[in-house]
Amino acid sequence: MTAGVHGRQPLTARRRRVIPGTLILAGLVLTVGLLAVSFGPVRIPVPTVWAIILNRFVPGLIEADWPPTLATIVLDVRLPRVILAGLVGSALAAAGATYQGLFRNPLADPYILGVASGAALGASVAIVALPSTALLPVSPVPALAFTGAVLAVAAVYLLGRVDHRLPTTTLILAGVAVGSFLSALNTYVMILGGNRIVQIIAWLLGGFTGANWFQVTLMLPYLLAGLLVLIAFGYRLNVLQLEDEEARQLGVDVDRLRLLLAVSGALITAAAVAVSGIIGFVGLVVPHLVRLVFGPNYRTLLPLTALAGAGFMVLADLAARTLLSPVEVPVGVVTAFVGGPFFLFLLQRRKREVF
Amino acid sequence: MGSRLTRRQLIRGAITLAALGPLAAACAPAPQPPSPPAPAFPVTVTDDDGQTVTIEREPQRLITLAPSNTEIVYALGIGDRLVAVSDYSDYPPEAAAKPKVGYIRVDIERVIAYNPDLILATGAHRQQVTPQLRQRGLKVITLDPKNIDHVFDNILLVGRATGQTATAEKLVADLKARVRQIETKVRQAKTRPRVFFELDKSLFTVGPGSFIHDMIVRAGGENIAGDADRPYPQLSLEVLLQRDPEVIIITDIGPYGGETPESVRARPGWQTISAVKNNRIVPINPDLVNRPGPRIVDGFEAIARALHPELFSFRLPTPIDRPAGTYARLTQQLSEVFN
Repeated sequence: MTAGVHGRQPLTARRRRVIPGTLILAGLVLTVGLLAVSFGPVRIPVPTVWAIILNRFVPGLIEADWPPTLATIVLDVRLPRVILAGLVGSALAAAGATYQGLFRNPLADPYILGVASGAALGASVAIVALPSTALLPVSPVPALAFTGAVLAVAAVYLLGRVDHRLPTTTLILAGVAVGSFLSALNTYVMILGGNRIVQIIAWLLGGFTGANWFQVTLMLPYLLAGLLVLIAFGYRLNVLQLEDEEARQLGVDVDRLRLLLAVSGALITAAAVAVSGIIGFVGLVVPHLVRLVFGPNYRTLLPLTALAGAGFMVLADLAARTLLSPVEVPVGVVTAFVGGPFFLFLLQRRKREVF
Repeated sequence: MGSRLTRRQLIRGAITLAALGPLAAACAPAPQPPSPPAPAFPVTVTDDDGQTVTIEREPQRLITLAPSNTEIVYALGIGDRLVAVSDYSDYPPEAAAKPKVGYIRVDIERVIAYNPDLILATGAHRQQVTPQLRQRGLKVITLDPKNIDHVFDNILLVGRATGQTATAEKLVADLKARVRQIETKVRQAKTRPRVFFELDKSLFTVGPGSFIHDMIVRAGGENIAGDADRPYPQLSLEVLLQRDPEVIIITDIGPYGGETPESVRARPGWQTISAVKNNRIVPINPDLVNRPGPRIVDGFEAIARALHPELFSFRLPTPIDRPAGTYARLTQQLSEVFN
């Protein structure tokens, strides 16, 4: 498995193309973001879109000759949606890269430690058992989804720990076991819920239909804190690609590092899932795409994956809201539809070079 | 997706329904003093599956597999013949006390154990349930209406199959008269308001091919999701804002749905919508528009009233001068529930 992560190409050759590659990637992500704000299911002339945004930041700079509805669409619907999609995409992609490195397993994704099933159970309980938003100041769904995710990961940690060690095998097994147990519970809650089942399914499918600024502010602190830790300590994942004993001999506290990275990854995944539901494929595919292009060095891989994840998700959501306009397509369908084949294409093209 | 939504809607207003109890009287026709001569059984009918079903004797042990079918049986005045009903059958209130046999997933064993001589199923049972029941020699009639007139045909069909032809004909004549009355009224409307019919707050709505879309058009409204490619689409918020509905109908109400005109008004970005500015967010009991039974006419009227309040704007009877008529009682009940 390590072979997939370590290229045969010398690292220096990769490094030579990291800097221009990063600039190109950053440019691409920026372009995607600008496109996503410029276009949507409602056709607003692109200059008007940007005039509206400019006017918001520098009031009075441009004379507002557009109907207020257009300003609402751009500022309260489209802008928070693009930003939220970007935040969620970078969270899932960075968490995916972290777990793939942590478990030395190319099939690991952000949900490997039970985050998704914990969050789903929390959300289902909130949807089925709690009164609706009208009776509470804020929706209980994200709060309970986040709590469920955190509790699930805590359970996985406690079950996966062996004598103060944190071996990857038991951690993965605990993740799978807790995950399927919670999924079973969730199915039961869905059946109990009867009439609320569609709301639960809609939540499980995930997406950004209801994105607003409140969700952005809800997610941002967790993402920033988690991402900072991952980028600051992620380079040590390179050492974790060795056997545990070798890593220890190199002076790395394997178990503490593993705990720190696992918790940070879980935290940003939980925050992402809480605001957007469970969106598949991004956390699995984007790290591999970045690895295929930029090589397996985690020092560059983690920040670049976060960047690429944002771009990928924003693009997927742009497709989700414009393809069948005025009808929405679940963004998870788009990520799977686009991500899967594109991933296979890259894999096919670069197979010889990487493996 | 469609059937799930329908199912959810079917069930959702359960709690508001309890308050609507006395409406039963409004829908059930007055008993006919001279009992019409019972049509000679056996009767042969063709149901919405295209199945020809021959019923040898007047059925005495009925089971319904959907709340709408339960409501039809009660409206025909033979609710006492129901040995079991579907889950969520909560109208009229006495239906809630009957034994339950499931809804989309039906407990076949229990159905057989009740030894029914007629089962009223729906299109949702076509794949899994109905064939199993028919295999065991049970008489099943499938009701799968596509619009209001089809509901009336279904009521007549059930009437014939249960020996209540006269009652059914009277009921349907009354219901049709009410529909005609509403449509005549609506024809005087000078406006054709744009309407957003919200199934839930993730902006699932109704499109062409759905029962409700049909009712909106007939009630003189323009569905803003009228160009959608499916019966139950999810609309983009951007598109919703741009198409600027003049009326918003919400059905995800009650303690669990919990949407209210106030909660809709408070949503970020919704303040530019005409319906919000002009205070035209109308809650409608989802059971009235989602259950293809006799109360569908109440639902039709509720939609027409939401779209053209000026045509229906008479003063609600006060408790003092309120006449004893069922219609007055109905409006009273509705206004108590929804105001």
